[in-house]
Amino acid sequence: MDYFSFFGLERKLTLDASRLQQRFYQLSKEYHPDRFAQKPAEERLKAEEASAILNDGYRVLRDPVQRAEYVLRQEGFDIGEQRSKDVPPELLEEVFELNMALEELRHGDEDARASLKEAHGKFVAMRAAADEELCALGRRYDETPGRDALQQIRALLNRRRYIRNLVAEVEKELA
Amino acid sequence: MAYSDKVLDHYSNPRNVGSMDKNDPNVGTGMVGAPECGDVMKLQVKVNPDTGIIEDAKFKTFGCGSAIASSSLATEMLKGKTVDEALAIKNTEIVNELALPPVKIHCSVLAEDAIKAAITNYKEKTAKEQAAVTL
Repeated sequence: MDYFSFFGLERKLTLDASRLQQRFYQLSKEYHPDRFAQKPAEERLKAEEASAILNDGYRVLRDPVQRAEYVLRQEGFDIGEQRSKDVPPELLEEVFELNMALEELRHGDEDARASLKEAHGKFVAMRAAADEELCALGRRYDETPGRDALQQIRALLNRRRYIRNLVAEVEKELA
Repeated sequence: MAYSDKVLDHYSNPRNVGSMDKNDPNVGTGMVGAPECGDVMKLQVKVNPDTGIIEDAKFKTFGCGSAIASSSLATEMLKGKTVDEALAIKNTEIVNELALPPVKIHCSVLAEDAIKAAITNYKEKTAKEQAAVTL
């Protein structure tokens, strides 16, 4: 079951969040267990299934990253098993350098904490920039759907995943 | 999850950590990564141009214990091999040697990719040099 059609929404990467929420509430009411308590078991089961899809779908569609991954998967892109051949070499260089800097900071002196905070700010900003770029690429895909746009989105999501890991690493250090 | 003794050995005492000058014409550099777990692995080989034998290998890996152990073992395996022998190294050898569990097999795959990337880089460099010489 396609989440977009389940919610009665156009299959687009840029999604109107309030419209999605509105549909979620409507459908939640529609499939609410209370309404099926007196119904035959078959109908009750169907409503339960629909509720499950509704909740899963809402979780996926309301998050721009998960939504993009969902569409990529639908279009036949392998999301879980990515290897370096899918990652641009410049990004690997960049992530490697960032990790090196992080390691140096860890082994550094008292100043390390301030530098780590600075690095944290930088990574968070990078993540925000990636999120903005994801929006822009999503708009482009919605206007002219195609593999090229999806490929770009996928590369961006890879990059974002690395950045997200770096943010988590630094936060662990700062905690 | 429990690591095998061999993984722990390589992890706590990694062999050949470091880097070589990537501009050295006899050095091949491979950089690979797995976005899903956030791992990045850099592996370098130094080849004797006369014999085609790998004289030195270095690595630096940011990742889990298995990724570090896989690349550490890879550098040990590489030394003394010819570049073509190196290309024939399979990740299963690393899996067996380190007794990696199924969920960590991708770490050995990453190490194999790193070896291939480093050798390919070396070969491209020498091909370019030869082209430059003939010009």
